[in-house]
Amino acid sequence: MSAGEGAGVDAPVRRAALWVPDWPVVAAMAAGGLAADAPAAVLHGRGLVAVSAAARAAGVRRGMRRRQAQSRCPSLAILPHDEGRDARAFEDVALGAEEVVSGVEVTRPGLLMIPATGAARFFGGEEALAEALVVAATERSGAEVSVGIADGLLAAVEAARGSVIVPAGGSAAYLAPLPVASLGHVAAERRQLSAVEDMTGVLERLGIHTLGALAALPRADVIARFGSAGAWAHRLSGGGDLAPPVLRRIEQDIEVRCDFEEAPRDVERIALEARRAAEALDTALRDAGVRCLRVSVAVVTERGEELERTWRTDVGPREGAFARFMADRVRWQLEGWLSRTSAGPEVSPPASLTLTARDVVGGGAEQAFLWGGVSGADARAHRAMGRIQGLTGAEAVLLAEEQGGRDPRDRVSYVPWGQVGQVARRVDRPWPGRLPDPAPATVLTPPEPVRLLDAAHRDVVVTERLHVSAAPTWLALTGEDAAPVDAWAGPWPLAERWWSEDASRRAYLQVALRDGRAFLVASRRGEWALEAVYD
Amino acid sequence: MTAPATPPVPPAAPERIARVRSLLTGVEGRLGIVRDVAVTGHSVAGEASPHLPPSRTLPVDDAVAPLLPGGVLRRGSVVSVEGATSLVLALIARASQEGSWAAIVGMPHVGVIAAARRGVDLARLALVPHPGVDAAAIAGACLDGMDAVVLGEGVALADADRRRLAARARERGTVILSAGPWPGAHVVLAVERSAWSGLGAGEGRLRSRTLTVARSGRHLGRTDRVDIPLDAEASLFPGREAQARRRLRLA
Repeated sequence: MSAGEGAGVDAPVRRAALWVPDWPVVAAMAAGGLAADAPAAVLHGRGLVAVSAAARAAGVRRGMRRRQAQSRCPSLAILPHDEGRDARAFEDVALGAEEVVSGVEVTRPGLLMIPATGAARFFGGEEALAEALVVAATERSGAEVSVGIADGLLAAVEAARGSVIVPAGGSAAYLAPLPVASLGHVAAERRQLSAVEDMTGVLERLGIHTLGALAALPRADVIARFGSAGAWAHRLSGGGDLAPPVLRRIEQDIEVRCDFEEAPRDVERIALEARRAAEALDTALRDAGVRCLRVSVAVVTERGEELERTWRTDVGPREGAFARFMADRVRWQLEGWLSRTSAGPEVSPPASLTLTARDVVGGGAEQAFLWGGVSGADARAHRAMGRIQGLTGAEAVLLAEEQGGRDPRDRVSYVPWGQVGQVARRVDRPWPGRLPDPAPATVLTPPEPVRLLDAAHRDVVVTERLHVSAAPTWLALTGEDAAPVDAWAGPWPLAERWWSEDASRRAYLQVALRDGRAFLVASRRGEWALEAVYD
Repeated sequence: MTAPATPPVPPAAPERIARVRSLLTGVEGRLGIVRDVAVTGHSVAGEASPHLPPSRTLPVDDAVAPLLPGGVLRRGSVVSVEGATSLVLALIARASQEGSWAAIVGMPHVGVIAAARRGVDLARLALVPHPGVDAAAIAGACLDGMDAVVLGEGVALADADRRRLAARARERGTVILSAGPWPGAHVVLAVERSAWSGLGAGEGRLRSRTLTVARSGRHLGRTDRVDIPLDAEASLFPGREAQARRRLRLA
């Protein structure tokens, strides 16, 4: 070992690397339902970032442009890049490996590190460990994996790519003949990869083609030329390690399922079932020694309809009150389901109830808000809202959120307090045709019919060319006499979703009356309606 | 085991406290920390000294400050606002921004966007649109947990309920804002007239308005009228406008 090496890191850790070739494209193909032997590639920006084996056989390479790739292989399926999908799908592989060993480190989606020493002793040899890993990960995820074992990070990765086991102490010799470009194989993300590629490009032009040649250079010179990236490369190419592996425990979602023999219909049965399910979940969580941040409650009816809602559990309950807290929410949801009349003519009774604890964390490891826990005022308000929900049900207390939209009704989404809402339409999109500020302080839902009259007391109409037939002079609100109009503006036409069933076409008019009141009225198919009041 | 023969003499307690205090203020000064934002953030002459930990008032926007005695919402008081939802929203906006929770009970039609534009933090705004027959219990629960509770006109409350709620608000230090008449309110704000500008005959749009508010109340003596601007739009060319005004004044 060279003199400069002893500074930070001890002898490299012996580890097993589990590598899935072309992971992004494997994950994308699985998500897209493509067969494993189809030619496919993942495109990001202007170049391909991953290529399937079949596509590679047809001459498609990583980094090619779309057109170039398609000219080599016309049947190539181009799939979108999605790091979230890659990471999610890789959980399956990680879980498979977790069945064999207790702690794994995900270097990046597609590459896992496992400390090999103890596990190999347990399995009675490194070959046995590698075999067990391959079997477990393949069975769980269906992906083709390869495992290699060596000292140090880079050697383990290279060993995995070659499916070999490098004997202890042989890493430097194993790495020495490999090209410097293999440094890119340990890069965790794209940006790091491009930095490494820049460096290896320079190294090659300097005549340093192999890792052995790089490792033989004086460490100080490499650092002087390449900075910290050079230090990183030099240490890895000599078979050294950067840092001991960071292990994590993967906590699986915990699920409790109740099948009803007889569907609960009355309030007492519902309350009973809700409590039973919540207690079962609480027990399951406690047995596993974990807590969760979200619980999703799913009800399946006898007709197979599904209703799923997710509740946050990090806001309300303290230790011990979890079962009661959850029971209330489950009860509300069951009651809401049974009393749901708007959805269809008859309500199908629930057949089963599933509670799934998500975002499971080890007990005591929940993360409170960034600045300490819930503040006193927040906790007080949360308690008050919980109490109101207990009085009248979940839908009684709403939190509003601004969402993208054009008219004042569309721009708000309401979520019962404590429930995790769907992603609203984005506010930062342009929304052309949005009504101008100031926003009305009273928004009528549903709109009330009004009559807008001209000077001769005839109804004002919005013409096909979007003009008003005459200047509005009188506005007759429901239950009021016609009041004189002082000023008005519009009509502002708004045609939304014309391609779909819920298409709407309307024209808005702002009207100020002589007595100082101001209104927003809209014309739909010749009928005027009071939409909002600027009061 | 041997105890030290003479323990070091501790400095006298008051001296130590003074030293710690001065250290603390030094740190606060260096880091720019302001203690008790609710009070010092809106300093009003003659108001509570900044050393009362839970402040006895809620701050309000400068635009509506002239309507309230002392320019603040006194905790535990009842303010009734008649004739303008915007005014209600404007009254709770500043407090909400500074971390207070607010609830709006029994106003199913309240414009949430208008509230947000006035500065109400929607993450700390609970809406109970349809309290139904449990209105008194719900309003009571809100008074316990929130700093400001807006009660809509349609909330089913008997006069006895109102008295009970007002007493509870006084005890918990919550402000009740009633959109509609409330017998015995400390401050009654009745909007008499609103004058909009920006709208013409077929062109323009509603831009800004002036509310004429008649102010009365239990300790306010006779009714007086205050004009306040709401929805005043920031000028596109503030510099130029000021220049023009200066030029006019010179001429």
